[in-house]
Parts: sequence; C-alpha cells; structure tokens
Amino acid sequence: MRQTMKCHRIRKKLSVYQDRELKPEEQEAISGHLQSCQSCREQYAEFERLWQTLGGIEEIDLGPWFYRQVVERIKKPPERGLLPALQRGFQLLRAQAIASVLLAVGILVGIYLGDVMVRSDFLPFGQTPAGYLQETFLDSLRAFDPAPPGTLAHGYLQMAGYKGDEIK
Amino acid sequence: MPKNGREAVDQEFSSEELMARIAEGDEYAFEILVHRHQTSVLNLIYRFIGDRVQAKDLCQEVFLRVWQAAGSYKPEAKFTTWIYRITANLCFNELKASRHKKWSQFLRPGANYETRGEEDLPDRSPSAEDLVLAQERNQQIAEALQSLPEKQRMAMILKRYDDLSYGEIARVLGCSISAVDSLLVRAKRTLQEKLKFFQK
Repeated sequence: MRQTMKCHRIRKKLSVYQDRELKPEEQEAISGHLQSCQSCREQYAEFERLWQTLGGIEEIDLGPWFYRQVVERIKKPPERGLLPALQRGFQLLRAQAIASVLLAVGILVGIYLGDVMVRSDFLPFGQTPAGYLQETFLDSLRAFDPAPPGTLAHGYLQMAGYKGDEIK
Repeated sequence: MPKNGREAVDQEFSSEELMARIAEGDEYAFEILVHRHQTSVLNLIYRFIGDRVQAKDLCQEVFLRVWQAAGSYKPEAKFTTWIYRITANLCFNELKASRHKKWSQFLRPGANYETRGEEDLPDRSPSAEDLVLAQERNQQIAEALQSLPEKQRMAMILKRYDDLSYGEIARVLGCSISAVDSLLVRAKRTLQEKLKFFQK
C-alpha cells in the first residue's frame, strides 16, 4: 500500500502509542488509522513482536538469606585505616600503573637493543674499539655514494668517461 | 510474628510509610521493605549489568543506601521511582568502574549473563532441552540489550519490565520526558534489528 504523509506521521508515533503515552484523542486516532491501514498495522506489529520477544528474558530471584546479608552489611563497621585506603587507591590507579610499567620496560629494552644492534664502527664519535681506523669509517661513508666502487653503476660511469688516451 | 500477621502488616503499610518507620530505626519495617522490593531491584540490575553475582552485590548496596538515606527521605515522588533512581545511579557507576576491568572481560569471553553463582539461585528450567533453548534465547536477548547505550538500556528495561511511565523514567534518569521518548524509540529500533530472528 502506498505510504501517505499521514502514515509517515503516524509511524513516528507508533512507539509512544505502544507505550500508551499519547493523549487519549491521539491514541484513538492512531487506533482508527491502524484498523484501516495494513502497512502501518504491519509496522506496529513489529513493535508488538519485539515486546513479546523481550518478555522471554529470564527473571532471577534471591536466596532466602538475602535480608540477613543486607543486615550484616549494614552492621559491618566501615573499613578504616591506611591499608584499605591504599588498596582502594591502587584499584583506581591499577590500569595507569600497569601502563606506566609497560612503558618503562619498553624504553629500557629499546635502549638495550639500540646499544647492542647498532654497529660501533658506524659511530663517528663515542666508542672507538680496538683496531678502529679512520679509513674504516671513511669507507663506510662511501655506502652513501650514488655509485660506490665495485658496483655496476660505478663500472658504467667509468665506461662513460672512457678516453682513449687513458689506456696506456 | 506469625506469618499471617506479618502478611497483614506487609499489606497494611505503603513503602513511604515503611520508610518513615525505618527512619526511626524500625528494623522490621526495613525487612518488609526489602522483601517487597528485592526482586524488582535485583532484576533491574541483572538486566542492566548482565551478571548474577554482581547484581546480587549491587542489590545489597541499594538496600544499604536505602537504610542510610531513610532519615533524609522525603516522599515527594513514588518510593519505587526513588529506589530505582538509586539503583540506576549505582548501575551507571558500576559500568564506569567496570570499564577499568576490561582486561578481565577480554580474558573471559562470554562473561555476560553468566551462570556463575547459580548455586545461590533457584533452578527454574524443567528439562535439559528446554534449558538449552531458553538459555540460548535468553543469551541473545540479553546481548541485544547489553549492546544498547546505557541510558537507552535503562529506559528500555524500566519500560518493558517495570512498566514505568515516561514521567517516572525521566525522574529516574534525570532527563526530560521527550528525551525518554527519543531514548525508547532508538532502543526499540536497535532491538528490532538485532532480534529480527526471533520475530519472524
């Protein structure tokens, strides 16, 4: 069935209609419309089905000793002193404390691994192990040349710059 | 007091009158009040939180607060609205606190609507097959409810299971009636979508 403007307005109110929270005249008007409009009736039926479905959830009950337990709790003196206060404080800060410890461990591991994994002969300053030569350091910097010696690119550049008089 | 006498007293006094007696330290009035409201408070918490043991603990906390607040209680609104407001606030606080416990929730999947602590509670299921089907259905409805934002969930529970009016729900949640209307419409739409399977 074609949805009219009236249907559109009514569908917006179906939830409140179901909860019987509209003014009596509006409740009646919607009841009348639902009798004559199948499409809106189907929409409303979905609300009713949901209501029934939700009724399927279990209800639980308390044991016979509940009242006694409440009274015991009322009569129990409140926890005082430094230790309970510290425990409560720790509970509140537990997540932050765990995050801080993990961060500190991460930083220490990072420092250790950085120290172990970076080769000392790439370091221009600082540690100078036995047998360290200035030439070794300069050679290592050649790794950043566009065509380091011994590579194909270096060979090509040599050939491109070939001059007959270089061959003796 | 003999049982019949006790039932008579139980019927005789409204919850508001019982509160006036509790304010004077009448423990018997408190016992009647607890018995009268314990199941509705417990189930409101259980449906909201989804954990039996936690629900029982919070239910005790609600009545502890009722006892403590009896002296300052003023019967301006219905007693049920007042006690539901205490309950709702405790539930919201518990939810905030439990966000700090996400670790344990993560390590304990399916903890919602768990069966832990069932020994305290009466078994209502008649047969094994019924039990399995009912539990599965219950679990899915519970999960759908749990997926709602907290205010929508509380409004929905108060409407569906406690049949509170929009005005009463508004007082419990501390919001306007039009806000309750909007919360319920959104909650119903979400639940219709999530529980389509049951509704066919």
